[in-house]
Amino acid sequence: MDIVVLVKMVPDTESRLEIVDGKVNESGFKYMVNPYDEFAVEQAVQFKEASGGKVTLLTLFSNDTSIDTDLRKMMAIGADEAIVLRQDGYRGDRPSANAKVISGAISEMNADLVIGGVQGIDYYQGATGPMIAQMLGIPHISGVTNLEMNGDKFTAKRQIEGGLQVIDCPGPVLITCQKDMTKVRFPALKDIMMSKRKPFENREVSLNEENDIQTNECSLPPARGGGVIIDGESAEEKVDKLIEKLKTEAKVL
Amino acid sequence: MSSIVVVGEVDGNEIKDVSQQVAAVAAGMGDVVGIVMGKNVAEAAMKLSTAKIIIAEDDSLENYDPIKFSSIVAQVVEQTSSTKVLMGATTMGKDLGPRLAAELNWGYLGDCLEAGDDGFVRPNFAGKVLAKSNPTSPVVASIRNNAYPAGESWSGTVENYSGNIPDSKLTTTSIEKVGAGDVELTEANIVVSGGRGLESPENYDEHIRPLANSLGAAAGASRAIVDAGWVPHSHQVGQTGKTVTPDLYIAIGISGAIQHLGGMSGSKIIVAINKDAEAPIFKVADYGIIGDLFEIVPVLKSKLGN
Repeated sequence: MDIVVLVKMVPDTESRLEIVDGKVNESGFKYMVNPYDEFAVEQAVQFKEASGGKVTLLTLFSNDTSIDTDLRKMMAIGADEAIVLRQDGYRGDRPSANAKVISGAISEMNADLVIGGVQGIDYYQGATGPMIAQMLGIPHISGVTNLEMNGDKFTAKRQIEGGLQVIDCPGPVLITCQKDMTKVRFPALKDIMMSKRKPFENREVSLNEENDIQTNECSLPPARGGGVIIDGESAEEKVDKLIEKLKTEAKVL
Repeated sequence: MSSIVVVGEVDGNEIKDVSQQVAAVAAGMGDVVGIVMGKNVAEAAMKLSTAKIIIAEDDSLENYDPIKFSSIVAQVVEQTSSTKVLMGATTMGKDLGPRLAAELNWGYLGDCLEAGDDGFVRPNFAGKVLAKSNPTSPVVASIRNNAYPAGESWSGTVENYSGNIPDSKLTTTSIEKVGAGDVELTEANIVVSGGRGLESPENYDEHIRPLANSLGAAAGASRAIVDAGWVPHSHQVGQTGKTVTPDLYIAIGISGAIQHLGGMSGSKIIVAINKDAEAPIFKVADYGIIGDLFEIVPVLKSKLGN
C-alpha cells in the first residue's frame, strides 16, 4: 500500500494578524504543520505498519522558508520520505491552483491512498482535498473520524450533521481527516534519529494560475466591545436580570 | 441577468433552513434555479424558495455522494447556462462545493459570511480576519448558516432532472446516529458551551447538557476539555473545532482563549459566566456574570426550563 500524505504548512496559531493596506502582513509569520494533517500522517503510518508499503509526505510551499525540521518530525512518526514542491510566490489561499500542482505530482506516484487533514487552519476552505480528487478522477471522503483498511478496501466514517455516514470504497481514494481520527504518537528517540537519514527532496515547480477567486481586501472583524457585567446580591438576582435583558434588550429569548 | 443554481438540502420532509437562506440570497443576484437531490425528496424539494426547482430523485441518491451529486449539479449548470452555484456550508456543501468547482473549472469560496452582488466575505484564520472578494468569473460558494434570513416557500415551476447519474465507487452502508436528538452545533440558534471551569466531565453532563436541552440548544465545548477527553471533538468550538454563529452563545466556565474566540465571536449575543473577572471572555461578552457557575447555572436552568 503506497500512501501519499498531504501536508500543508500553516501560520502558527499564535501568529499576530495585522492588516496593512488591506492585506494581512505575513512577514512575521512562523509556520507549522497543519494540525489536521498530523492525524493523516499517523493514520498512514499505522496502515503501513499493518500491511507494508510506503508513506510519502507531499507538501507545496514557498521556496524561501526551511521546513525540514517540521517534516522530519512527521518522518519520525514513521513516514518514509518527503517531497516538497517549492514554488516562488506560493500562497495558501489558492486551492484550485495548488490542487493542480499537487495532483500533477501525485499522478506520477501510483498511490493507493491519498490522505490529508480536513482543512488548513489558515483559510479553512477544506477545498484542496476534494479538488485534487476530482483532478485525479478518484473518489474522496471528507471529514473522516474513523478509517479502516480491509485488503484494498477502505471503510470511512464521515462526520455529518447528527451522526456519521459510513462509506465503503476501494482504493485509490482521497480521504481528509477530522481531529478525532487517531491519536498522534510521540516518536521514540531512535525514530527521531532515524528520520534524519530519510530521503527529503525539494522540487521546484512554477507558479500557476487557476480559477481561484482573488481576495480584494482583508479586514479585522469589528471589535466586540465588552458588554455589561450583571451585578446582584445573589445568583438568583443575577440570573433574573440576565434573562430580562436577553428577552427585552437582546431579544434572543 | 445570469442564472444561479442553488443546491437545496432536505432534512426529513423539510428543506433545511440554511438552504432557504441561500435561496433568499441568490434571489437578489439573478434568475434562480434550485436543484434538490435524494430519494423520496419531492415533497420537501417543492418547498425550496426558488422560482424554478429541479428534482433529481433516485434510489442511488439516498445518501450524499460527491461524485454523483457533483455531476448532477454540473449538468444542471450547463443546461441553465449558470455562472454561480450557491449552497449551504453544511457537511455536504463544504464537501460538494470544492469538488464541483474543480469539475466545472470554476473558483470556490467556502463558508462565506456574506454573499451578494457587491461581493463575498469569508473568514480566514478562524474568523480573526475577514477576506472580501468580488468574483468576476464563475464561482461555487458555500454560505454559512444564520448569515441571512430564510426565504419563504412559494410555488415556482417544478421539473424532474433529465441528465444522467454517474456510477460511483463510494457505497454508503449505514448512517450512525450520534447523540440522537442533540441539536447540531453549526445549525443551532442557541449554543451552550462549557470549559475547564466545570472541573470534571460529570459536571459537563450535569450542567451543560441539561441547560442546552431545556433551551433547545446545542452543547459546545472548549478545546481544553475536548483535549482532556471529557467530550468528543464534534462538540469543540474554536479554531481547530467548529465555527458557530448562533443568536445566543452562552460560555460557561470558559476563559476565552483566542482560539476559542475565533470560533464563536460571530455570535449575535454572547453571555459569559465565569468566576474570574479578568477572563478574556468578558471582553467579547455582551452580558457577563462574574460568579460561581455551580451556583448560577442551576438557577439559570430552573428559570429558563419553564
